[in-house]
Amino acid sequence: MRTVLTGCWYQLLVLRRSPADLMALFVAPVNTAVFLAIVRHADRPDLVGHAVLAPGLMALWAIALITCGELIDAERFGGTLEALVAVPARMLPLLTGRVVVVTTASLFAFAESWLVAVLFGLRVPIPHPAIFVISMLGTALAMACWAGVMASVFVLARSARIFQNALGFPFFVLGGVLVPVAMLPDWVRPLTNVVFLSWSSDLLRDALKTAPVQDFAGRLTALLGLAAVGAGLGAYLLSAVLKRVRSLGTLTYA
Amino acid sequence: MIDEYAVEITALRRVFATGKGLRKRGPGHVALDGVDLAVRKGEVHGLLGPNGAGKTTLCKILSTVLLPTSGTAKVLGFDVVGQTSRVRESMGIVFGGERGLYGRLTARQNLKFWGALHGLHGKALRTRVDTLLERVGLTGRADDRVEGFSRGMKQRVHLARGLVGDPAVLLLDEPTTGMDPVAAKDFRSLVGELRAENRTVLITTHDMVEAEQVCDRVSLIDAGRILATEPPAALSEWITRFERVDVPAAPAEVVARLRELPGVGSVSTEDGRVRFETTQEGVAAQLVRALVDEGVTSVTTSKPSLEEVYLHVFGHNGMAVRK
Ligand SMILES: Nc1ncnc2c1ncn2[C@@H]1O[C@H](COP(=O)(O)OP(=O)(O)O)[C@@H](O)[C@H]1O
Ligand SMILES: [Mg+2]
Repeated sequence: MRTVLTGCWYQLLVLRRSPADLMALFVAPVNTAVFLAIVRHADRPDLVGHAVLAPGLMALWAIALITCGELIDAERFGGTLEALVAVPARMLPLLTGRVVVVTTASLFAFAESWLVAVLFGLRVPIPHPAIFVISMLGTALAMACWAGVMASVFVLARSARIFQNALGFPFFVLGGVLVPVAMLPDWVRPLTNVVFLSWSSDLLRDALKTAPVQDFAGRLTALLGLAAVGAGLGAYLLSAVLKRVRSLGTLTYA
Repeated sequence: MIDEYAVEITALRRVFATGKGLRKRGPGHVALDGVDLAVRKGEVHGLLGPNGAGKTTLCKILSTVLLPTSGTAKVLGFDVVGQTSRVRESMGIVFGGERGLYGRLTARQNLKFWGALHGLHGKALRTRVDTLLERVGLTGRADDRVEGFSRGMKQRVHLARGLVGDPAVLLLDEPTTGMDPVAAKDFRSLVGELRAENRTVLITTHDMVEAEQVCDRVSLIDAGRILATEPPAALSEWITRFERVDVPAAPAEVVARLRELPGVGSVSTEDGRVRFETTQEGVAAQLVRALVDEGVTSVTTSKPSLEEVYLHVFGHNGMAVRK
């Protein structure tokens, strides 16, 4: 547990020194402004909620992809990975602490979007505040778990790095971030169902509508289930990374 | 017997796969080829060898960062493969070079981070970090970012980091690379302190003079094998035996005559510069005198390189950097 806190402390120091790691937070308000302008132009006030949520979800995903995806690789590049392997503390809690901090920081994007809406003179009421908060926490948790997966994937499958920057929009679509997945063709449903973002974005949007939220418990369970899958996969991949470091000795550039 | 040794290595081999990606085939590259080594508790043991000898590979295996291909290695009786957590608790490592520190953090923050990963927290951590900063002479720069430090200063942070867990066994992999002479001298007194604290130190280097000055025993390693383990007196004997005498120019007949002196090994000429290599103690001084008598005044003497000693003592070409 203490190692988790060490990870948090360390990541806070790093973020303070390099705010560029949270580049998406600078982009989110701009996206919100663009989306709100479109919504206003199309005269669809019912879509204001979509326009405010989408940039937040996009920032959440982008930061996990870029910043968390690089956490282990940066250690390798800086020559600190070996020293981290050689200390008594375990890597998993350390990485957890770091990912939690990055994910928490990226939640700030939602606040930014909300502020931009206010500047547009729009109010975004939350008819189901409890559901909204719980869904938001579930989303952050799931994102943190899957961010851990990304951290290891980009070290293990170096060729995946090529796609790293391209993995934004496909998931924005599969995660129903821009357009609800219900509007996608039926055959992509199996795919969208295993992307936790799709459950998140639907839940969050529903929480902003006045209509009662259907089957909240079931959908939340799906979200948390996918979070658990991510946590398990992340832990497994991390141990694979550490195994590879120790057996091949090739993760560091000598 | 187990109690006597801090590090025990038996028939240790490490082979690196050659080739790239999934097509790793072929016999592989042998970095360690059956290393046996025992380091006593409280000993400062040197591992002396040229680049590519396998020193870093050995340090990585001892620090549990790399798995051996075969053979065993134990630290304080704990196996580096089976009992990693016990090994990690009792060991500190300093890998040389510029890398391995967080440049964006200050020296103090770096040490706090690594201290925390060694299980320290609160006041104990703060005190430990302050003491170490003082000890390596960085108190004045403790709150500056490490990225602005000189190589030598980074090396001090590395040293402090290695000590932050209060280790019984310390591995130092080429710790003085990049240090200026003053810092290197401070380093030697630091090793003296570590010895006084009864820590076991395994230090790798390719600098014979350094090995001679700080170590209780020195193992010579080349091409993944330990060639010999010697007291530093053997090194200092070699250093004085295999001296070099250089002159920018000298008459051919003088060179021819001196070449015949007993104790003069080889004489080489390059662009008119002449180098005599001696194989006996005291011969260098004799050569200098003879040259000055002949009117050759700009004479310089120097210590032999490790490669030369390897060549003389072990009779093979230690000059080659192994790939
Ligand atoms: N990760 C690696 N993959 C392949 N070969 C390696 C690796 N690390 C070291 N080697 C090789 O093993 C040999 C020993 O290297 P090293 O232990 O770094 O030597 P030293 O530290 O004595 O200079 C060298 O020939 C080096 O090229
Ligand atoms: Mg080395």
